[in-house]
Amino acid sequence: MSQTATAVVKTEGHSAENEHYHHGLWSWLATVDHKRIGLLYLGTALFFLLTGGIEALIIRTQLSRPNNNFVSPEVFNQLFTMHGTTMIFMVVMPTLIGFANYFVPLMIGARDMAYPRLNAMAFWFLPFGALLMNFSWLAGGAPSAGWFSYAPLSETPYSTSLGVDYWALGLFTMGIGSISTSINLIATIVAMRPPGMTMFRMPLFIWMTLTNSFLITLAMPILNASLVMLFVDRLFNAHFFLPTAGGSAVIWQHFFWAFGHPEVYILVLPAFGMISEVIPVFSRRPIFGYGTMVASVITIAVLSFGVWGHHMFAVGMGNAPDVFFSAATMLIAVPTGIKIFNWGATMWGGSIRLNTAMLFCIAFLIEFTLGGLSGITFAVTPIDWAMTDSYYVVAHFHYVIFGGTYFAIMAGIYYWFPKMTGKILSEKLGVWHFWATVIGFNMTFFVQHFLGFMGMPRRVYTYPDLPGWATLNQISTIGAYILGLSAFLLVWNVIMTSRSGKDAGNNPWNAWTLEWLTTSPPPEHNFDYIPPVHGRRPLWDLEHPELPDHPESINEPLVDPPIDKFKVGMACFIASESFFFLMLVISFVYYNYTLHMGHFNAHTLDRVKSGFFTVALLGSSVTLYIAEKYMEAKKNTGFLTWLIITIALGLVFLIGQGGEYIHLFITGVTLNTNLFSSSFFILTGFHGFHVFVGLILLIIVLIFGFVGDYKSGKGEIVKTIGCYWHFVDAVWIVVFSTVYLIGPSL
Amino acid sequence: MTTQAFLLSAWNVAPFVAAGLAILVYLAANRFKPGKRFAIFMLGIVIFLAALASPLDALAQGYLFSAHMLEHMLLLMVVPLLWMLSLTPQSKETASRRGIMAGMEKIGLFPALNWAAGVGAMWLWHVPALCNAATVSGPVRTFQVISLLLLGFAFWWPINGPRLDQRLVPWTGMLYLITACFTCILLGIWITFSPVAICSAFNVPVDRYGIMPLIRNQWNLSATTDQQIGGLIMWVPSCLIYLGGTLSLLARWSKMSNPTSAASLLETNKNVGKNHG
Repeated sequence: MSQTATAVVKTEGHSAENEHYHHGLWSWLATVDHKRIGLLYLGTALFFLLTGGIEALIIRTQLSRPNNNFVSPEVFNQLFTMHGTTMIFMVVMPTLIGFANYFVPLMIGARDMAYPRLNAMAFWFLPFGALLMNFSWLAGGAPSAGWFSYAPLSETPYSTSLGVDYWALGLFTMGIGSISTSINLIATIVAMRPPGMTMFRMPLFIWMTLTNSFLITLAMPILNASLVMLFVDRLFNAHFFLPTAGGSAVIWQHFFWAFGHPEVYILVLPAFGMISEVIPVFSRRPIFGYGTMVASVITIAVLSFGVWGHHMFAVGMGNAPDVFFSAATMLIAVPTGIKIFNWGATMWGGSIRLNTAMLFCIAFLIEFTLGGLSGITFAVTPIDWAMTDSYYVVAHFHYVIFGGTYFAIMAGIYYWFPKMTGKILSEKLGVWHFWATVIGFNMTFFVQHFLGFMGMPRRVYTYPDLPGWATLNQISTIGAYILGLSAFLLVWNVIMTSRSGKDAGNNPWNAWTLEWLTTSPPPEHNFDYIPPVHGRRPLWDLEHPELPDHPESINEPLVDPPIDKFKVGMACFIASESFFFLMLVISFVYYNYTLHMGHFNAHTLDRVKSGFFTVALLGSSVTLYIAEKYMEAKKNTGFLTWLIITIALGLVFLIGQGGEYIHLFITGVTLNTNLFSSSFFILTGFHGFHVFVGLILLIIVLIFGFVGDYKSGKGEIVKTIGCYWHFVDAVWIVVFSTVYLIGPSL
Repeated sequence: MTTQAFLLSAWNVAPFVAAGLAILVYLAANRFKPGKRFAIFMLGIVIFLAALASPLDALAQGYLFSAHMLEHMLLLMVVPLLWMLSLTPQSKETASRRGIMAGMEKIGLFPALNWAAGVGAMWLWHVPALCNAATVSGPVRTFQVISLLLLGFAFWWPINGPRLDQRLVPWTGMLYLITACFTCILLGIWITFSPVAICSAFNVPVDRYGIMPLIRNQWNLSATTDQQIGGLIMWVPSCLIYLGGTLSLLARWSKMSNPTSAASLLETNKNVGKNHG
């Protein structure tokens, strides 16, 4: 009990400090505070929610009556493309990442994220990427090939404006940001937990965010590599995805959905996490089935990489793949169903508080389940054939992403807003907001199931006056405007509450996780004091010392083995980069091992010369290893000498590669000569770029080495960069084998 | 030949199967008492027989690539796992210092090699030359079967091996399995979508049983579809085995770090002690 008192007294002392740390625009632009970065994410997401929402309203207005010409077909295509892209990449992902940014350190009792500067950098990739993409409106037209930009429609002959180029650039930029922040989140969760908080005492939101971050780290590079190929196609006239010149449009679909299906879970897993926080608190019961929640989220994440084919039933992959993908897809319903039942079981017998956050959770359970059910119908291949590209699809994924994720986010906003601002959102307005959202949402999208059954195709700017179509579309449009109103109610509630809301205090909901221990809003350093963590509900244990969750664990020693955050971060970065290179290797193999390219192919390459440079690069790994050993032995001269040799060997490799490129250019082999040259140049070129970056890092290390920074023998940073260098060399072994050894031997 | 006639006639207990079985039954009689572990062992025997003595084996020998793949999965991933689970776990201190067990402890020294053994067995036996050789040549095939069982045993050792001290900590084990799963998915994708035949020997089988018309016309399996199914078996169901392993490790991890269950375990042990006392 005395511990509680100390905690309260200590945290209250900070309200004065809070005053002066909020000032000025510059303090926001230059911030590395995870809470402010979290708010920046949420603010950016809100802005784009309004943008994407307005796009949706224009779409619905156009569709409000048959044969309408409120917007032209071209503008309509741009609108639905940008609506989808905006909502997915600029609204939902930033919101989820923003909440993770704000609450992961608070919930695990950390001071900040593992890498605060990387965190700031990762955020700024978002607005710049988003601006880049939206700039296309002014630069001759927004992208209009749909959010998955199917080739060959997205290729230059069919999308003549610069829209798709901006789309690819913008997504690539935002992708780098998402990957960076995910690596940061993983390192934070793995390495920054306080003593006593074992993995199985983490709040479920943390588990879901952790799993989600792994998904982003591994799935985003798949998209980024594909975007590079699309971009090279468009800008340099290569033809990876252009069938008229030997490329494959279907491979784009495989590449895109190999990213796109994990992306669906990226959009929903943290939302599951939010629901798993809110429901227990407002049911006054601990979460039911914690272990199965964790197991099911990992199952979903792993399966998500194996089922993308269900987006491609209509492509004609063949019966066998269809059957397997169909079965695997239905399998995902099992872990998802486990979650739904667990949430229900948590509420069962609880004393439920029906406030706005909880209302949104209950609506989430119902609507997400409906979306899941229509998803299962889509897993049945023949139904997919009949319903694909109809409004049934539109209804399905809006029930998942809007009915699921958006509702969960709203629950999260009502739940955590008091922590972020110190004010409780008005319940009166909240209930209005809730019912407007529920009614608007179901009016908009439920009828679209029927429109789909009737055969109304998605992505077509208008429709003929067939029986029933006009009425159903009108209902849908009215619903969309009610939804627009609901978003306005939320903004209104936020503004009104910020002005004159009820003070929240530290823990307005009597919640049990660590973020509720500190003040609302939390001070810049988050906590003065972290209580000992003996279970999953540290605040409960603190307030009820007579009735702790795990009485037997109160006296256990609170030591967690220290984990090096640099190692975790570098390992995740390497995993992410591996997936990027994997895609480039796959494309090389696909285009060269099975097709014959004509005059220039892998035989054009000089294996012996490249073999020589390969030896130089691999040698540099050995010399770097020796350099590290010297560093550990505190022999600075030896360290510097071997480091210089490493850099020299790296340079030899780069010069060798440059020579090879020049030779190829003179022979007439350039980036767009044929599929061999395109896939060759991007694979080896990106590798060369990584060697180049590695060299710069090593040179920086060398400079600090001369200054004498590593004389103490402690150089985590040298070892971290060393890992990167060894990784780049290992990639070259794969590239060399694929391109120079196996390729020409086939 | 009809499907039924084929299924009834294509049972072929090859000599090495019989020999292996005799040894294993012997081992079982000596080491195992009837119980849970013995049941697991016998399940391993049943799957072993299903893979090598049933019509599946007849199909795998030159007729169907997909049948070969199923057999490959069973022999590499299921049978060794079951046999391993049937061994009594031992700690470093209590491990037998004599005979086979003493030699076996060397298996677990470098888990990276164990990983490479499992993944290598997947990839190497699907290099076209090796795959064809194992399909057409009897001795190569025997060698393949034995190597799959041994490499599978090596692969599972750091996860479920009988030496508890050589098991990986759960989260490392999870990475071990998930990365293996990813390589498996990758190879599965390649086999499924590759326009070239991975194992061309299956394109023109020697029709020992006279069932080619049955396969092509009644079962509707062309050589292309057959290869696709093979790739998909490697891609989806085999990945589920890794996933199952991952989840079992998660459960193990949760038990290790959950004081409640540790305490209740302690409590149970005490009670058991009392009852026995």
